[in-house]
Amino acid sequence: MVVSLGDLPEEILHSILCYLHPCSSAALEQTSHRFKNVTNGPLLWRRYCEFYYKSWDRKHEILQKLAVPVLSVDWKALFVLRYQIDRSVTRLLDSILASQTGRIEKFRAVIDYGSDAKDTLLRHSRVESGEDHLARRYYARALLTCLHRSIAVPEWAKLRRGEPVSLERALGAFDLFIPESGYGDLDEVKNTLTDLVAQFRASHLDMGVLRPRDKALSLASWLRDNDLTGIELGKEYHALEHNFLGLALKSPGHNSLPLISAAIYCYVAQEIGLNAHPCGFPFHVHVIVTPPPGLDMNGDTLSGEDVGLPMYLDPFRGARETPVSDLRDQLIFLGASATEQTAFLGQSLTSEIVLRCSRNIWTSIHSAPHHPDGPVSSVDVVSAKYASLWSSMLLSGDSRPMDLRHHLPLLMELFATDFPSDIFLVEQYIVPLFQGLFEHEHILESLHVMRAVDEIPKQVRRRSGENKNIGYTVGQVFRHRRYHYRAIITGWDSECGAGEQWMRRMGIDRLQAGRHQSFYHVLVEDRSVRYVAEENIELILPELSDLPPGLLTIAGKHFKRWDETARAFVSNVRDEYPDD
Amino acid sequence: MSTQITLTSSDGVDVSVDRAVAERSVLIKNMLEDLGDSGEAIPIPNVSNRPFPCLGCVYYVRTSSPPSKSNGDDDDNRRKTTDIDEWDQKFMQVDQEMLFEIILAANYLDIKALLDVGCKTVANMIKGKSPEEIRKTFNIQNDFTPEEEDQIRRENEWAEE
Repeated sequence: MVVSLGDLPEEILHSILCYLHPCSSAALEQTSHRFKNVTNGPLLWRRYCEFYYKSWDRKHEILQKLAVPVLSVDWKALFVLRYQIDRSVTRLLDSILASQTGRIEKFRAVIDYGSDAKDTLLRHSRVESGEDHLARRYYARALLTCLHRSIAVPEWAKLRRGEPVSLERALGAFDLFIPESGYGDLDEVKNTLTDLVAQFRASHLDMGVLRPRDKALSLASWLRDNDLTGIELGKEYHALEHNFLGLALKSPGHNSLPLISAAIYCYVAQEIGLNAHPCGFPFHVHVIVTPPPGLDMNGDTLSGEDVGLPMYLDPFRGARETPVSDLRDQLIFLGASATEQTAFLGQSLTSEIVLRCSRNIWTSIHSAPHHPDGPVSSVDVVSAKYASLWSSMLLSGDSRPMDLRHHLPLLMELFATDFPSDIFLVEQYIVPLFQGLFEHEHILESLHVMRAVDEIPKQVRRRSGENKNIGYTVGQVFRHRRYHYRAIITGWDSECGAGEQWMRRMGIDRLQAGRHQSFYHVLVEDRSVRYVAEENIELILPELSDLPPGLLTIAGKHFKRWDETARAFVSNVRDEYPDD
Repeated sequence: MSTQITLTSSDGVDVSVDRAVAERSVLIKNMLEDLGDSGEAIPIPNVSNRPFPCLGCVYYVRTSSPPSKSNGDDDDNRRKTTDIDEWDQKFMQVDQEMLFEIILAANYLDIKALLDVGCKTVANMIKGKSPEEIRKTFNIQNDFTPEEEDQIRRENEWAEE
């Protein structure tokens, strides 16, 4: 007897197929009837689906599909669909990298695939080498975070419309803006909290017999004992990372500001049957726990129409009840009227908590110490700022158009420089906020200009004629002679191309060579974009390891990779500067 | 309990191995438990007409490194890679027929690590090949009609390039 491949039993062939890429299975399928049968087992294609694709767009209802009998789903068709999306997203990304023109529509096409695009983007955002890996990582990451924002923003929009949104979703939305949080979905934040509830329950089997007050206190002390609330001694209170619910839950020390500590407390408290909510007390978010109807916090029955008094806690500080008189005294000291006191001591709306979180982030960004060589925040400041702006714009009430007006230019600038793939979110969610205000036309106009600029091929800048004497090239790294920051050259002009007003404000004519010298567009290590005169440029030839990691991340916006020999970045804007 | 046991193949070849090593075959482990510690040679059945595959399996378990606990059962991890370590690759440098016999024997003797290496080896022989190349490699008879072949090719166009 001669044994051949086809003689192997079905289960062994299945094992072999599991080691193959699905494309190879498809090739094997075409060899003979025997292998056509073997490669068409539905179990195999379900396995491929599960193995190759972890993120599925909601429309597939993948969990339901996995729960029903395998034969009732066409797993092979589903795999082929995902494979084609995978290929398409890769092609779109390649094309985004290949040219600066027409990127907006390509961004849109990727985002339209929703969560189906995620596996592909994640893969590209992790490439470590390759001809254009810096750019690939940058744009894959930009699209990935854009996908996350398109999950987060609708939650705040819902709150704005007065629809109910749970506190953990409304606060988790901030985490989706922050790539470092590692969250890609609001359910993941909820799941982390649900795990906490289970842990608490497991260590407190006597919960059922406790009085509401003792229950509330034992939860506060459990959270504190497990370092799940508050901030460790010696940590900077205003550190940016203390503002994010998901991040606090995930990070080792679980450090969080009072608002986040209160939110963690309230989630677990509600799950164990306490009526707990953040309270509107100014400066320091507390928690208010209201007794069940007909009872007081000690579990005693009340007579008639009496309503039990609530209790106040400060989970950030620990497991002590805060006497309401203390809170009231502070309010009186602040000069709060009786009505204001009632409001400050009552439950906070979720939208108010989001706004407070938004302001806290803003405060953290502006009060955290900034040393270029000091400890780097684990959270990307630009993304955090962007989250703060989005939430405050969506949630400041219509009664305060001044806030909107104040935030608009900041948001538009960030969006245009760092998050241009969000144009659809801006069109859908920001534009309508200004309906009837004079800014409306302005926003539409700037969006129109952005699209127009995106569609027109870049003007080609050759190094000939008047550009012959440009000293430096795109991709070179320098230190500013006066301000000492490090930056990368991303473009140039043969003489100062900025407006008269800007030149006057910046004192350009006081430079030694004045306005008639080459000027450079540069990307600075703090992520800002500047315009620098040639005389202020002092080239450095750094080792890759000398450069701050942050600079490397954003370099991908204009550059393909680092060139070890030239000690400069390799341009990805050759469609604009073909000779650089 | 003796640490060395003797295995004997159907044509009378004896091999002496560590008991712990032999027990990496679930089949032999069960046989040892059934037979008790009699000190007698354990007969290994053949799965084909050639004695080598089974003895080859025994040789494999005796000389290869024990399976690591960390990824032995991690299915995902297992599927991720068709990398085969050098020693295993050398072991699998046999003709195709022998390879399939070893796979069958490993399956029969229930030696998971060896079965996996065998399956990976075959997978690597299929990887990246066109249908025609696969037919050539494994001597597969094309039994499709031209119409069938054409249709099945169109159904699988997604996988090309």
